[in-house]
Amino acid sequence: MTEPPKEPVRYVETTVHLPYHYVAGDVRARYLAALKEKKILGARCSRTGKVFVPPLVASPESFAPCDELVEVADRGVVTTFCVVNLPVIGRNIEIPYVASSVALDGADISIFALVQECRPEDVRMGMRVEAVWKPDGERQGDHQDIQYFRPTGEPDAPRESFLHRL
Amino acid sequence: MPLPVMRLDVVSEFPYKHSTGETIGRFLAGLKEQKRIWGQRVGGLGVVVPPLGYSEVDGSAGGEWVEVKPTGVVTAVAVVHQAVDGLHPFPPPFAFVLVRLDGADTALAHVVKDGVERLRVGSRVEAVWAPDDERRGSIRDIACFTVVS
Repeated sequence: MTEPPKEPVRYVETTVHLPYHYVAGDVRARYLAALKEKKILGARCSRTGKVFVPPLVASPESFAPCDELVEVADRGVVTTFCVVNLPVIGRNIEIPYVASSVALDGADISIFALVQECRPEDVRMGMRVEAVWKPDGERQGDHQDIQYFRPTGEPDAPRESFLHRL
Repeated sequence: MPLPVMRLDVVSEFPYKHSTGETIGRFLAGLKEQKRIWGQRVGGLGVVVPPLGYSEVDGSAGGEWVEVKPTGVVTAVAVVHQAVDGLHPFPPPFAFVLVRLDGADTALAHVVKDGVERLRVGSRVEAVWAPDDERRGSIRDIACFTVVS
């Protein structure tokens, strides 16, 4: 035998299995508990006044503590977005759908959100959107409590109002 | 107001299907069908196992196929005492090792299941093959390496 088989193995299938044990910690636990009450909490930087959502213990920008929890609005502006045309195993959203960054009113950074109830081609930077919550009694205190965001029909936000809140 | 600790157990699974390509594909077919370990003699490196089809040193194309021995010497050891469920191949302690097989000039990454307490850089090890009906054309067709000295 002077060489391996002519016919190669074509594929190797491997499943990467990663079990996580996640502990929310203090401010993240308060944030999740507040979702159950249809409230979205952020944390205000004690030095710069910037509001981070979800709340952080310290600002990654100034390194100063964020020692005040503040409620932000459940509506805001699409700062950037992506139209998803490829299905992903385990994600049961009908394609095409819009994955978006939304800067909530009162927040200085965006959260990641699904935008629905409109055609993907109508989504644009600056579009005003609002959260669609799960009904009372069904909210668990997790991110699924916000089902998605939908357009409010308000006039678009001016670009300067969100360019630094991506 | 103190809150109860919030915890969440989540399992992320990524089902990958890698396309092996011609060179690794034939290397794996050798494990599965022949129970032989093949390398390639390439420019500037000698015998490379597993083979890549080219030289990482000068970029020249992979040369002749060369069979290497299922025995070799350990060139690096990392003993795992805290295994990750469903990800790692054996309950702890086991070791990830680099093995330079006899006849090869590069080292192959693999695992040693038993005898990790006497495993050292320089230890001699030997391949343990998976049973005939369990070899499916994967690096795990070599079930593990075992320490011989």
